[in-house]
Parts: sequence; structure tokens; C-alpha cells
Amino acid sequence: MRNDAFSKCHPAVNFLFFVGAIGMSVVIQHPAYLTAGIVTGAVYYLLLNGRKGWKTILGLLPMFIFLTAINPLFNTLGVTPLFHLFGRPYTLEALLYGAAIASMFVIMMLWFGCYNKVLTSDKFTSLFGSIIPAISLVLVMVLRMVPNFIRKTQQITGARKSIGKGAAENASTKEKLNDGMTVLGALTSWALEGSVVTGDSMRARGYGCAKRSSFMIYRMTVTDWALLFIMMALLASTVTAACFGQVTAVFVPAIDLAPTSWGLATYTCYLLIPTALHIKEAIQWHISKSKI
Amino acid sequence: MKKIKRSNIAMLIVFFLLVPLTLFLGTKLPGRGYYITGTLIIIELMIPFFMAFEGRKPQARELVVIAVMCAIAIVARVAIPIPNFKAIFAVIMLTGIAFGPETGFMVGAVAAFASNFFYGQGAYTPWQMFGYGAGGMLAGFAFAKGRLPRKPWVMAVFGFFAVILWVGPLLDCSRIFLMLSTVTWAGVIATFISGFYVNVSQAICTVLVMLLFGRPLLEKLDRIKLKYGMMEDEDGL
Repeated sequence: MRNDAFSKCHPAVNFLFFVGAIGMSVVIQHPAYLTAGIVTGAVYYLLLNGRKGWKTILGLLPMFIFLTAINPLFNTLGVTPLFHLFGRPYTLEALLYGAAIASMFVIMMLWFGCYNKVLTSDKFTSLFGSIIPAISLVLVMVLRMVPNFIRKTQQITGARKSIGKGAAENASTKEKLNDGMTVLGALTSWALEGSVVTGDSMRARGYGCAKRSSFMIYRMTVTDWALLFIMMALLASTVTAACFGQVTAVFVPAIDLAPTSWGLATYTCYLLIPTALHIKEAIQWHISKSKI
Repeated sequence: MKKIKRSNIAMLIVFFLLVPLTLFLGTKLPGRGYYITGTLIIIELMIPFFMAFEGRKPQARELVVIAVMCAIAIVARVAIPIPNFKAIFAVIMLTGIAFGPETGFMVGAVAAFASNFFYGQGAYTPWQMFGYGAGGMLAGFAFAKGRLPRKPWVMAVFGFFAVILWVGPLLDCSRIFLMLSTVTWAGVIATFISGFYVNVSQAICTVLVMLLFGRPLLEKLDRIKLKYGMMEDEDGL
């Protein structure tokens, strides 16, 4: 994402933010915190995806209802039975518990959706390039080879078609499968031969002779350090709040929620960081545009 | 006696310190404690493998071959013009059979991770990485040194059971821990039943690829090994 302020931050900041956000969302099941998670996640998801984001968010709704409704079928604890199904009580508490679990699931989906947009593969490899050099090199090569191989596959298929081979559109599954295997075989031969050339070329240029240095396109700026500090502070205070029992929520057999306190505020602030950055940037852009 | 390798030390630390510690602390977590504990253990189990791979400073040729096999496993979906035909696991297992357990693990884990850059990372990513990686490694062990004959139908049966008994249930586990409020037998069985169709369809895909593509692909991989003398010192323990 080019037009997102948070995406322009250092990958380490991005990565740690998502580890914190997704990690917390899995542990906390207090309704107030869940609501905060859903709202902030949805807002940031919409900022990243624009109008197309609504489709995904609305698509999560049936999943939410399904997961909510199904929980009382397996969890029959609870003091207020709504009705009996197959001789087992279908309780209000279990239904609400189901809603909490469904919310967790929705939060995870939303934040993972944002993660996929923000922490792109180039950021991931640049972040882990010095820790796992060989594996991230393999990863970079794979990410480059996949589009390359898809092009080659299309070439092979086209070439086969022009000599009258290959499965037609209405061919049977068996023919399609056989044809696919032939194409895959041709691709494999070509790719493996090429891999040896690449490998030898890498060795000839001195791969493995010394410790590989890596070019870092991202630098930790003052903003990044400040952001990291704020993130850690907010996260630490939320964890402290959790240790004091502020996020405790018991659903079955009877609902018992801890009263909300400052933990909710710090948690919401933490989750609002990317949105706040995005909006701040948008306002700045608006101001500087109106000055012209 | 040679110096103990760092990855072996890591293995010991993981098994005797990290995993029990995670299990102990995991019981104290509220919410989806099971999921966090499970995912952390999965990630911890993969660390020694990655350290071993980094530690022995793999040669350029080996790196490129691993990358190529990962990319082919991902692209197989495009090459075969049948919707929802997943050949990824079959290619990973064939790589394990041809190049040995360690390469099989790396190709499985990296292919799962890299394919999710195209289809979206999610809560299941570490589980998928471990499932595919361990599946490739298992295939490498089972077929090394002629323990099992490299016949298409043997590989097909092996692949079928590897999907049904290992990869499928592992991915179902990540859903159980994520979606069930309390882990009860009824819930577990329901999750396995709901995942059964997907697992069976993937198992059938694996069988078909093994039967049709198993021998030609193995011949190609063996030919490359012979022609360029690659991965010779790695005949699979």
C-alpha cells in the first residue's frame, strides 16, 4: 500500500504491531475489548482496501452468525435455557459465548487482512534477511519464480495448442489431468536445468564465500522509534490491565464480566495507531494541497 | 567426538525447555489459550529445522533447487486446468522422496509460506507450514534407501494416508482451537467431519498426481541429481 502512512513505517514496527494486535485478540474475550477490536480492525481494513473492503466485511457476517449459533450445540452449560434441541438445552450464555468466539475470529480475519496488505513479502524478507539469510533468499527466489513459471506454463500450453495437442475447453477431466501433468513435467525439466545454471552462476559470483551483507532499504527513523515506544507502552499497560483481571470475562455457566477500566482505553489506542497515522497523513496532505 | 552442533542444542532446548514451558504457561492464558499454545509449539518445533538448514551453509545449487521445487508446487495449481485441484502436497512429497527428508521439510515449509503470500496469510499459516514440511520429511524418510519401493501405487497409498491422517487433521486442529469454546468430543468430531470433504478431495488429488506424475517427476529429479552430482552426500540418513 503506497498511500498508507503506517505501511511506510519500518517493517519491524509493522510486524510487531500485528504480532501484538493479533496476539491480544486471541487472548482477550471481554465483549468491550472485542467490540474495540472489530471496530478498529474494520476501520483500518476499509482505509486500506477502500470500497472493496465492504465486501469482505459483509462476507464475514454469515460466518459470525454461524459460529455464534453453533456454539450452544456443543456447549450446553449456562443457566438460562432458551429452548431444548435434541433433548439438550440451548442456553443464552453459550450463545453469547459463541458470539465472543465468533468476534475473535472476525477480528483475526480483519487484522490478518490488514497484515497481508501492509507487510508485503519484500518487507518480510528484508526484516528477516539477516536472521535467516538462506531461507529468506529461498523465499525471494520462490516469489520471483512463481510469476515466471506461470508465464512459462502459458507458453508451454500455447505451444502445445498450436501443434494440435493439449486439452480442449470441453475435454474430459481425465484428458485435462493428463495434459496438465505433461505441461507440469515440461515445466519441471526446464526449471531444474535453469536452476543449475542459476546456482553455478551464483557460485561463480562468490555466493557463500563470506558473510552476505544485505541492503536495507528501510531505516529506523525518529518517528519509527517513537512509534515503537508508544506501542510498547500501550501494550505493556494493556497486559498489566489483563494481569489485574480487567479483561476477565466468564460466560458459562453464568455471565460475569469485569468492569471496564483504563485497560480498554490503552487497548483501543494501540489498535488505533495505524488508523491515526493514516488520518494524520490525509489531513496533512489536505492542508498542504489547499496551501498551493 | 565432534563438537555438538548448534541446531542439536536448539533441538534439546526446544524439546525439554521451551515446549513444556509453553504448555505450562498456556494453561494460564484466558481466551483462546489452546490456539496460542498450539501455534507457539508448532513454531518452536520448526526452529531447529531452520537452524540446522542455516547452520550448514547450503550451497547455491541446493538453494536454487529448493526454490524451484517450491515454485513448481505452487504453480502446479495453474498448470492443471481443473478447479480446486491441489497438487502442492504431492509435489512436496515427491521432492522429499527424491532429495531426502531435510530438503523435503524445507520445500514443504517454504512452499506453504510462500503460497500464502499469493492466497493470503492467516491463522493457519504455521500449522500448514509444519504439516507440509513434516509430510515432505516423512516421505523422505519412508522412501530413503529403498525402505519402501518407489512404485507409483505405493507412493499414492502413502500420499493418501499422509493427507488423511496427518496434514488434514493438523489443519483441522488449528480450527478446533480457534473456533470451539470448549474442546469437547462432539465439537472435535464435528470439526473433523466438516473438514472431511476438503481432506478427502486433497487426498484424491495427491493420489492422482502420484499415480500419473510420480514416476516421470522422480526420473527428472534423479536425472538432475546424476547429471550434476547434486545433493550426493545427502542420501537420507
